[in-house]
Amino acid sequence: MKHSLKKILPIVITAVMSAVSAVNLTAKADEHYDVYNYDRWEEAIPSQAGYMATRSVSGEDLGVGDFSEPSDIFRDAYDQFFIVDTKNNRIVVTNSEMTEAVMVMEEFTMSDGSTTTLKSPEGVYVSPETDLVYIADYNNSRVLVCDYDCNVTMEIKKPTTELFSQELTFLPQKVLADKAGNVYIVLGNITTGAAMFNNEGEFVGYYGANTVEATSQVIANYFWKLISTEEMRSRQSRTVPSGITSFDLDDEGFIYTCTQSTSQKKDTVKKLNPAGTNLFSSLETSWGDIQSVYDTNTNKNYQSMICDIEISDDGNINCLDLTSGRVFQYDEEGNLLFIFGSSADQLGGFTEVTALESLGNEILVLDTRKNTVTIFEETDFGATVHKATVLYNGGYYEEALDPWFEVLQYDGNYRRAFLGISAAYLVQGNYEGSMKYAKLADSPYRYNRAFEGYRTEFLNEHMTAITIIVILLIIGIFALRAYLKKHYKPNAEYDLTHATPIREEE
Amino acid sequence: MMDLTDREWVKHAITHPMEGFEDMRWKKAGSMKISCVIILLWFVASIFEKRLYGFQFHATSDKMFNVVPFIVQTVILFLTWVVGNWSICTLLDGEGRVKNIFIYSAYALIPYVASLYIEVFLSHFLIRDESVFIEAVSVIGLLWSVVLVFSAIKSVHQYSFLKTIFAIMLTIVAMLIMLFLLVLLLSLFQQVYVFIYSIYTELAYRFKV
Repeated sequence: MKHSLKKILPIVITAVMSAVSAVNLTAKADEHYDVYNYDRWEEAIPSQAGYMATRSVSGEDLGVGDFSEPSDIFRDAYDQFFIVDTKNNRIVVTNSEMTEAVMVMEEFTMSDGSTTTLKSPEGVYVSPETDLVYIADYNNSRVLVCDYDCNVTMEIKKPTTELFSQELTFLPQKVLADKAGNVYIVLGNITTGAAMFNNEGEFVGYYGANTVEATSQVIANYFWKLISTEEMRSRQSRTVPSGITSFDLDDEGFIYTCTQSTSQKKDTVKKLNPAGTNLFSSLETSWGDIQSVYDTNTNKNYQSMICDIEISDDGNINCLDLTSGRVFQYDEEGNLLFIFGSSADQLGGFTEVTALESLGNEILVLDTRKNTVTIFEETDFGATVHKATVLYNGGYYEEALDPWFEVLQYDGNYRRAFLGISAAYLVQGNYEGSMKYAKLADSPYRYNRAFEGYRTEFLNEHMTAITIIVILLIIGIFALRAYLKKHYKPNAEYDLTHATPIREEE
Repeated sequence: MMDLTDREWVKHAITHPMEGFEDMRWKKAGSMKISCVIILLWFVASIFEKRLYGFQFHATSDKMFNVVPFIVQTVILFLTWVVGNWSICTLLDGEGRVKNIFIYSAYALIPYVASLYIEVFLSHFLIRDESVFIEAVSVIGLLWSVVLVFSAIKSVHQYSFLKTIFAIMLTIVAMLIMLFLLVLLLSLFQQVYVFIYSIYTELAYRFKV
C-alpha cells in the first residue's frame, strides 16, 4: 500500500500541475492592467478579461493621413465605420475590418448645386432605414443630412420659432434619428435635454432632460432663495440639471442617453421610451466605477464620467468612462459584465477617450489625443459570459446551465454565474442544488424560492414519519407529566391565591 | 408563604406582569446567577440572530464578523441601563439597589430573549411569504418584555405609574449621556496612546541611527 502510494504520488502531482498550468494558459489575461469586476458588496475584485485589445488603427494605417482630434465613430447598416475627424473637417468612412478607408466625406453638394464644407464636425449618425447620413457640424451651427454621395437633402439650422430661445447659440455635438425620421440633437449649452426636430426639420421640443438631484446643497440653496433679496439671488449659483452628453438607439427604438457630469451621480445612464420616461430609474446599478479613486498627484477624487454609450447588437450596453479610459459593459438589464481598458500609453490604454462603437464581438474605442481607434476583441471568457447572459435573459435557464459552469471555471467569483445555475436548478426541480448555488451567490431571494420547493418536497416525502414523530412526542409529553405528578409533589406553597392576603397583613 | 425556588421565581415573575416583581421584592427573591445567565443568553441570541438566521430572510450576509458591536448592543447596553437607572432613581427616592435593578431588569428581558431564539428557530422552516409568524413572535416577545421592564422598575423602586414613566425616560437620557462620555473617554485614550506611540517610534529611530 505504501509503495503504491509512493509510486502514484509523483504522477498525481505532475498531472495536477500540468492541469493547473493548462488552465492558466487558457485563462491568462494578457492585459497590462489589473482586470477587475465588482462583487456583491460592491468591492473591486480581480476577474478575467472579457475583452482584449488586439490592435489600434490610425488615419495613416487607413491611407487617409493622420486623424486630428476625432470625436465620434458610428457603424452603419453595412458595417462600415464613419469616423468624425474633427480638426480635419471631414468624415472618414472605413470598411468593416478597419483596414482601409472606403470614402472621405469632405465636400457636400447642396440642393441648389453649390458646395459646402464642414467646420469642426463632432457627431455623425447613419439611419439604417433611409441610409441618410446626419452630421453635427459644430462650428457651422447646423446639422447636415445627406446621402452616401454627399448630396445634402436637408440642413437643420437654429430654429426661428419662439420655442427656442433666440439668445442661445446652436452648436450641435451629437445627432441621432429615430425610425420615424425625428432628429435628436445634443447641444452643448442646453440642459433641458436633446433638441428634437421632426422629419421636415422643424423644431418640436426637447427630449430626455435630466433632473436636478435633491442634494443637501440644492435644498440649502432653495431655502436661501426663499429668504434672500433679488440682488442676493442674482449672485447665487443657479441649480440646473446637467445636459446629456451622448446617446444611442437600440433595435427596438429606445433611446439611451448618458451624462458626463461630476455632480450628477444618479441616472447617468438612462433608457428612454418615446414619452421620455426613464425605464432604468428603478435599477440599482451605479454606472461606471462604484468607488471614486483618490489620486495623490492631483489631490482629487476621481469618479466615473460616462462620455459615450453604445448598444451592441445583442443588447449589451457599453459605457465609456472619460476619467479612467475604461469601458463598462452591462447586459440589457443593467448588470455589469466586464470592465476593460485603462489610461496608459500601451495598446488598450487611452489618453482621452471620446466615443465607442461595436461590431459583432469587437468593440472599437476612439481616442481623441492618440488619434487612433483601438479594437478590442472578445476573449473566450467574454464569449462564454455573453452566451450565458443572452440565454439567461431570454429565460432559457436550463440551456444556460453549461455556459455558466464554464464561466465559473474561468472566474470563480463571477456572481451572475451562481445566480444562473441556481435559477436553472430551480427550473429542473433540483432544489438542493439551487439552494446551494443561491447561497454561493448570496441571493436570499433565490434561496427562498428554492427552499420553498425543497420544503414541499420534503414534507410530501416524509409525511408519515413526521406524523408518527409528532404523535409520539405528544404521547411522550403526557406520559412524562403523569409520571412527574405521581412521583414529585408540586410545591404546595406555590399558590398565589394566598400571596396577596398575606402581603396585605404585612 | 411563597417559598419558591429560584427557578420558580423566574417563572412567577414573567408570568405575572402586575404583581410578580412585587412578590419578588417582598420575599427578597431573585438570583444574580440566573440574571447573568440571561444576559449571556441575550448576547448569544443577538449573534445567533445575525449569523444563524435562515438564509432566505437575510438581507445580505456580511463579509466580516466582529463581536464588539454585539457586546455593546447587549451587555454594555444592559449595564448602562442598570447604572443609569440607579443613578436617576436614587435622586428620585427610588428604593432599589443596583443589585435589585440588575436582577429585576434581567428577569424582565426573558420573553424578548426567548423570542429571539424562537425567531431564529422558525426562520429555518418558514419562507418569506410566511414571515408574518416570525414578526408576530418578535412583537409579542418585545411587548411582553416592555411591560415586564416597566413593572420591574415600578416594583423595585416602589413608584407610582406616572413616576415610573418619568424615571424610565430620564434613564434613557442618562444612558445617552453615559455612552457619550464613554465614547469621549475612548477617543481621548486613543489620543494618549497615539501620543505615547509616536514618542516611542521617535526614540526608536534615534537609537537606531
